[in-house]
Amino acid sequence: MTDLQLGGVSRWYGNVVAVNDVTMTLGPGVTGLLGPNGAGKTTLLHMMAGFLAPSRGTVTVDGASTWRNPDIYRHLGLVSEREAVHSFLSAYEFVLASAKLHRLAEAEAAARRAIELVEMTDAQHRRIGTYSKGMRQRTRVAAALVHDPQVLLLDEPFNGMDPRQRLHMMDLLHRLGDAGRTILFSSHILEEVEQVSGTVQVIVAGRLAASGDFRTIRRLMTHRPHVFAIHSSDDRRLAVALMGEASVNGVDIDRTGLTVRAGDYGSFTRALPKIALAQGVRVRRLLPSDESLESVFSYLVEA
Amino acid sequence: MNATIIWMTARGLFGRRRFLFLLPLPVLVIALAALARSAGVDPRHWAPPVLIGLGVAVVLPVVALVVGTGVLGSEIDDGTVVHILSKPTPRWQIVVSKLAVAVAVTAVTVAIPMYAAGVLAESVRLGLALAAASVVGTLAYSTLFLALSLVTRRPVLLGLVYVLIWEGLLSNLVRGTRVLSVQQYVVALADRMAGSPLLEGSVSVPVALGMTAVVAVGATLLAVERLRSFNIAGETG
Amino acid sequence: MSEPTALASAAEPAGVIHDIGYHRYDGPRRGRGYVAGSLYVHSLRTAFGLGRSAKAKIFPWLIVGITGLVAAVLVAIRAQTGLVPLTYAQFAEAMSWLVIFFVAVAAPELVSRDLRSGVLPLYFSRPMSRPDYPLAKLAALITAVWLLLGGPQLLMFIGAAFTVNGGLRAVWDELLDLLPSLLYAGLWAVVFASVGLVIASLTGKRAFANGGIVAVFLMTTPVVGVLSVLPSRTVNELAYLAAPSTLVTGVGSWLFHDLVATEGEGSIRIGDFGPVYAAVAGALVATCVLLLLARYRKVAQS
Repeated sequence: MTDLQLGGVSRWYGNVVAVNDVTMTLGPGVTGLLGPNGAGKTTLLHMMAGFLAPSRGTVTVDGASTWRNPDIYRHLGLVSEREAVHSFLSAYEFVLASAKLHRLAEAEAAARRAIELVEMTDAQHRRIGTYSKGMRQRTRVAAALVHDPQVLLLDEPFNGMDPRQRLHMMDLLHRLGDAGRTILFSSHILEEVEQVSGTVQVIVAGRLAASGDFRTIRRLMTHRPHVFAIHSSDDRRLAVALMGEASVNGVDIDRTGLTVRAGDYGSFTRALPKIALAQGVRVRRLLPSDESLESVFSYLVEA
Repeated sequence: MNATIIWMTARGLFGRRRFLFLLPLPVLVIALAALARSAGVDPRHWAPPVLIGLGVAVVLPVVALVVGTGVLGSEIDDGTVVHILSKPTPRWQIVVSKLAVAVAVTAVTVAIPMYAAGVLAESVRLGLALAAASVVGTLAYSTLFLALSLVTRRPVLLGLVYVLIWEGLLSNLVRGTRVLSVQQYVVALADRMAGSPLLEGSVSVPVALGMTAVVAVGATLLAVERLRSFNIAGETG
Repeated sequence: MSEPTALASAAEPAGVIHDIGYHRYDGPRRGRGYVAGSLYVHSLRTAFGLGRSAKAKIFPWLIVGITGLVAAVLVAIRAQTGLVPLTYAQFAEAMSWLVIFFVAVAAPELVSRDLRSGVLPLYFSRPMSRPDYPLAKLAALITAVWLLLGGPQLLMFIGAAFTVNGGLRAVWDELLDLLPSLLYAGLWAVVFASVGLVIASLTGKRAFANGGIVAVFLMTTPVVGVLSVLPSRTVNELAYLAAPSTLVTGVGSWLFHDLVATEGEGSIRIGDFGPVYAAVAGALVATCVLLLLARYRKVAQS
């Protein structure tokens, strides 16, 4: 179990503040670092990986500072955003070199395992220069995993991957996270984060805007109404009855059904069955229509 | 010294076409020396322009510049240095390993034609002296240029400024600056070892050796220190 | 059972595109000459770092500063003592290393940057014919080098005009010395810019272009040194063809011999081979231009 801790971390370049007073603790499992482009995700990741010094604050892995401390790399793997990789080597040579640089006892076996993990066994002896973007990405992930790190940092890892590769990578990250490793990956694509992790750190304009389970975050935003899509046996009747309910802010009816905007999640969910029962309306479907991360994200960004 | 890094650096250097563009320089030295010798020209006339003017003043620094800035600079330039740095390898090991490759490649590429030209000019002793002095010069140049590639984003340009303007122009005009010119150290050492009338050093040998050591050690320490604080900025930086 | 479709009785969703005043441009368009001219001016500014960050201005203006300083010193010496250490034409020769350095820095800024950032398709999808691009760049670099040499020469002339004795007649003599020297400076510019630009156009990395241009110029000087001491007189007189700087000096000593000729070790003796030098210089420039045109024909199609 390894903890990655950031305490009051800020980083500025002259007048531009890239990261503004971020405090967070990352524990075992998969965490998504979510934010629009230019929010400071890469800057934050580079500070965590020891490639950038914070202008203020501390970044520690299990208590040890990450800056100017090559020893952290024994337990930390980084997959950076830049695609760069030594194109004159083959994937096997590259991962093997990584294993040797980590001074692993059985470097060849570790390299083979890592390459199998990312499904690159077939192409491993070809030059990296001949690979597609997704293959290069997977090679870099293999090199970052070869020493079995406790902490894995990935900067936009799904860039350039096709859907099948993406699924495979997500599965891999899940398994690693379930095994107790601390995994952080950054993305600006909501679906990716939604599918891989329930825990999210949202960073907007250099500030940490929200942390934790995204459904909980959503629920905490009580000043925005929750939106539900309801299909029932008698939409209009239900709509009229719901409008009389205090926790309901608005009701829309259209061809697809009923859309209800509720101000108070708790009261509404308790009141709806009672109202439906009283009106004799059968509710066929009740879906929160904005539970996805997208609405969290856009609400946070617009906030 | 780290064998893996040496291997990777050597592969990177030789695996690219650009290394071949360096070869015309040493070949030219040998070709000119052979031409002059076969035409029976008095060595006193052709040795200074070929041995010093081309060999020590051009071939040695240019090869050292291209190789020295290439071993680390090209990785910094295309971003692959991340892979080397995200390992628990001590930074001094990385610097020393890359230096070993740079010095070895440059020394061989320069010492061979210098030896050949020296033999063609006068004697085996001159050839050996020139080769040995070139190796010493390689130490100074390679460390200097490797450090330069960690200090600035345009190490080749600054290296050329040093070679052309400092060593080429000023050292010829202002005698005092010769104490700070690697080219002069090489000439002085070769002069002392060969004892030949063809060479004329203007810096004393202890100064030459001492300054070479200072430059080599100083530049290496600087490079290690800069590598420890090497940072990769994010999208905004 | 309410039918949702009955509710959607509104008509087909209506749409309107508002006129916010966007129009295609129908006015007069300037021709190919304007495009090429703009590229020329832009490249000329780039060579001196104008319109770019402060760092890009350091090297070009450093060199301008040095040449200007030398010219100023010459003016001062002439004003004080009446001696002429360097004539206008000899000034151009003395500055040859600085010219090489300037070309080594400026040529990659002009062409290597475009290659690296992959903007050539953007250039060539404009109403500009393929040869215009390299020719405009070449013209800009030639102009830049000519200004680098001609500016200080002009400075020397102005200084001389104010300090020389003999009234208008003397000033007129000075002018007659200056004009051919400006032409000579132009010759330096044409040869050096052509060679430098071709080398720079081979690579997108500025570091390689810098080093390559310097290496080519540096390599050729010792060749001249060796050839000029070989026992054959013909070879000695033709030796100066091997390096661009001595090539131009050779042409200069043929065309402007009384302006350029110096006594002592700096002089070069080319015997009767003056026309050969001029022909070789012309062939060199023509070859470089053709190589440039060929280079951009290929790159444009890739």
